[in-house]
Amino acid sequence: MTMRRLAMLFAMAMVVASCSSSSELDVEDAWARNSAGMADAGAVYMTINGGEEADRLTGVTIGSNIAGMARVHETAMDDDGLMSMQEVPQIDIPANGEVNLEPGGFHVMIMPLADRLTAGDEFTITLNFEQAGPVEVTVEVREE
Amino acid sequence: MPTAPEQPIMHCRRLVLWTLASAMVLVSCGGDNSVALDGDSPSLAGIVRQPYPDVSGVVLPEAADDGKQFATKAESGHLLVVYFGYTACPDVCPTTMSFLRRAVRDLGDDASMIDVAMITVDPERDVPDRLTAYVENFFADGYALRTEDAAALQAAADAFGADYEITVDEGGLVEVAHTGFLYAVDPEGRIRVQWPFGTTAETMNEDLAQLIQGGV
Repeated sequence: MTMRRLAMLFAMAMVVASCSSSSELDVEDAWARNSAGMADAGAVYMTINGGEEADRLTGVTIGSNIAGMARVHETAMDDDGLMSMQEVPQIDIPANGEVNLEPGGFHVMIMPLADRLTAGDEFTITLNFEQAGPVEVTVEVREE
Repeated sequence: MPTAPEQPIMHCRRLVLWTLASAMVLVSCGGDNSVALDGDSPSLAGIVRQPYPDVSGVVLPEAADDGKQFATKAESGHLLVVYFGYTACPDVCPTTMSFLRRAVRDLGDDASMIDVAMITVDPERDVPDRLTAYVENFFADGYALRTEDAAALQAAADAFGADYEITVDEGGLVEVAHTGFLYAVDPEGRIRVQWPFGTTAETMNEDLAQLIQGGV
C-alpha cells in the first residue's frame, strides 16, 4: 500500500514536472539590425512567451565586448508628434501571454557598440526575470 | 562634451504647426475640389497636405563634397524623399530607412527615379563622416545633409513641418526627440505625400510608384 502510494506520488510529480517544463517562459526570434555605418547604438527585438506564472522582465545585461550597456526602452510619441525613447523599468509578462519587443515599441537599446553589428553575426544578452531568473538569449544580426 | 540647448522649448510654435498640419490633413481628406486640381492624390495612402507645402527654398550643405549646397527638390522626373533623423537613433530611424530602402528597391526599374536625403537633427554628434556612412548604408547615392547653423536647421524643419528637440539628462546622456515623417518632394520642391513612422514598405512603394508613373 505504502509502496503503491509512493509510486503514484512519483508519477504525479513527473506529470507536474513535465507540464511545467512545457510552459516555462521562453524567448524566441531575438534579432538586431545590422549597424548603419559608424552608428554606435543598436536595438534588440524579440518575442517573450510567458510561462504558467506571470513574470516580469526587470533588466538586461550585455557583455562589454558587445556594448557598454543595455536598457529596456519604449519608443513613445507625445501629443506634438515628437517621438522619443523612454526607459522602461520593467515589462510585465502575463502568464501564458506573449510580449513583443518590436520596431517602434519596446526594444533593448544597446550602446555604445564595441564593434558594428554585421548581418549574420550572433551575440548573447541576458534577460533578468523576477521569477525565471536570468535567461540567456542568442541574438541574430539581420539586414532587415 | 555635448551642451544643453539654450533655446527654451517652443510649445506654442509647435502647437500652431501641428494644428495647422492637422487642419491641412482634414482639408485634404474632405476637400474633393482642391484634390481635383491635380487628380493624382486621392488614392495615395500617405498624408497629402493641400496646398502642397513648398520646400523649394530649403538649401542645406551636404556633409560630404565639401559642404556643397543642396536644395530639397527632386531632379526632373524624380522624387526626393527627405528624412529628419540622427545616427545614434537605435529604433525609429533605422526602421524607417530600412522600410524606405525596401519600398524603393521594390520599384524595380523605377528605383532610379527616387533620391533620398537625410537631414541630421543632431549635427553635434553626427559629424560628417558618420552621417555620410549612415546614409550610404541604406542608399549608396543618398544625400547626407548637415548644418551647424541652428537657425537654418530650424527653418528647414519648419518648412517641412518637422520638429526635433535635444536635451541632456543629469547623467549626461543626450536625448533626442523628433517627428518621424518621410516626405516625398517633387521637382518643383512641393511635398506631394508624407508618411508617418511605421508606414510599411509596401504602402510607400505603392505611393511612390503611383507618383512616378503619373509623371510626378
